[in-house]
Amino acid sequence: MAEIEARTDVTGAVWKIVTQVGQRVEAGDTIMIIESMKMEIPVISEEGGVIQKFLVEEKTPVSEGQVVAVLTP
Amino acid sequence: MSVKDQSKPHAQAGREDWGPEVEELRFRRAEARALGGAAAVAKHHERGRLTIRERVERLVDANSFQEVGTLTGQGRYEGTRLTGVTPAPYVMGLASIDGRPVAVGGEDFTIRGGSSWSGDRKKGGQGGFVEDLAASYCIPLVNLIDGAGGSVTSINRRGHAVFPGVHGFERSVELLGKVPVVCAVLGSAAGGPAGRAILSHWSVMVDGTSQVFAAGPPVVERSLGQKISKEDLGGPQIAVDVAGTIDNRVASEDACFAEIRRFLSYMPANVWELPPQVPSADSADRRDEELLSLVPKDRRRPYNMKKLIGHVVDRNSFFEFQPTFGKALITGLARMNGKVVGVVGNNPMIYGGAMDVKAARKQVRFVEMCDCFHIPLIFFVDVPGFMVGKDAESAGTLREGMRAVFVGLQATVPMYTVVVRKCYGMAGMGTTDKNGLDFKIAWPSAEWGSLPIEGGVAAAFRREIESAPDAKAREQEIEARLRAVASPFRTAEAFGVEEIIDPRETRPYLCRFIDAAQARLKTTLGPKAKYGVRP
Repeated sequence: MAEIEARTDVTGAVWKIVTQVGQRVEAGDTIMIIESMKMEIPVISEEGGVIQKFLVEEKTPVSEGQVVAVLTP
Repeated sequence: MSVKDQSKPHAQAGREDWGPEVEELRFRRAEARALGGAAAVAKHHERGRLTIRERVERLVDANSFQEVGTLTGQGRYEGTRLTGVTPAPYVMGLASIDGRPVAVGGEDFTIRGGSSWSGDRKKGGQGGFVEDLAASYCIPLVNLIDGAGGSVTSINRRGHAVFPGVHGFERSVELLGKVPVVCAVLGSAAGGPAGRAILSHWSVMVDGTSQVFAAGPPVVERSLGQKISKEDLGGPQIAVDVAGTIDNRVASEDACFAEIRRFLSYMPANVWELPPQVPSADSADRRDEELLSLVPKDRRRPYNMKKLIGHVVDRNSFFEFQPTFGKALITGLARMNGKVVGVVGNNPMIYGGAMDVKAARKQVRFVEMCDCFHIPLIFFVDVPGFMVGKDAESAGTLREGMRAVFVGLQATVPMYTVVVRKCYGMAGMGTTDKNGLDFKIAWPSAEWGSLPIEGGVAAAFRREIESAPDAKAREQEIEARLRAVASPFRTAEAFGVEEIIDPRETRPYLCRFIDAAQARLKTTLGPKAKYGVRP
């Protein structure tokens, strides 16, 4: 089954992971929040799916375009 | 199929027999319609691509295509008898889109991959009749690009190497200041055709079947030793999303033609006209309740700027440019009470709306295009400033950002600055119409200054903060004090901002002024002079 990669649009640090492994999210749902430029920038799921794993933890620094979570449809 | 020898004597006087010539014309036209032949056309279809004739037919109004240069090509003869014609690999002419004339042309990939052809006069490509037609008649040009450009084999054919620019871009450059130019990349475009795709006001490519690059994989491998597929080198995920070389990407050729028609629906035929107005089904007086609660009170939380734009402009009228590139900025054409406007909005979802290199490039390109075609601009401002940090400095954010400021200051179309939240520093300055009415309208959520308070306090009050028993507490105390004074209402008292409005009033307020600006827009029609050196 093809995996869906959720990526952060911004460089920053993971502030809050607001979902859990195994949780189903729909397109447009927030998976986690990145703190960048003093703003809370959501990582939004582009497609619906079930979260398989997180590749980051809270406070992890992340770079623009980095995959932060993997989902399956 | 062939044409008979035409040497028979004249028919009876007064009833001249032009039958053989008419038959030859029919035959030659049929040869042109056959393009590179059934096998080549079938192969082209197998690649998931339409022929140039199918493309033109699907793009333009039904039966509106009047071809020019139909007979151009290489005739094949047995003695004096014509046996066939290989058409020139370029099809072009005059057509209509939504009843308005356009010049349209494109390479025929089924003949020598759409590579260049030497006749007395070029049909299109770099220069040629189709560009002359657009320039001479002052009508939009649509380039349907599907050609690989120059080939070293032309040295053999000509007996000499062609100097770069012998078929140059001079006409393409002239057109960019006169008429709307659209380029669609509909195959692998390298070299000249790739360059031509950039010389447009708006460009588009198709997922899966089109790529664009300065040079394709064989040249890259020979030059750099890099093995890379053409999709990885110049597919839309690079050319559109990462590089911004091409503006928009679409899923199919039909979607591409629909987008071209939509783009042109916002554009005037040339810079001597105003963009077409349409009756609006959406009332200019509509107060949109959604706008009141769209911006979170918590300043750290972003919101959906695209949604905000959608609630202000005429319903479903927003046509976004470069939606996947430079996402810290949103640009697009829209209508307000039926009149075309350019919309620029900072996107707080990406770096809080800070202007990075890509956002700056995007703003420059869009503002210049709107200025060229006399399209008023609305800025929905939420920008904390230029992007900061080593990566941003290394990328040249300061220079690109100042270029955006420069281009904004050179533009002469009316601009409306709607401050939604943050408006700071030079990036904020780049959203104002300092040489025009300098009309700044703010929401109560607005804030502004040289730089955001939280960033500026630590620097400006460093000594006071460091000498305090509790440095953090002192910093917060100073921030709170300054924030109270920084209320937008206090600036409005000083007429430092022209109006503060209830967000729900945004549409009616802007529509009043955009309607009123129409007469003034007519006073500055024509090409815009460019001067000075862009930073």
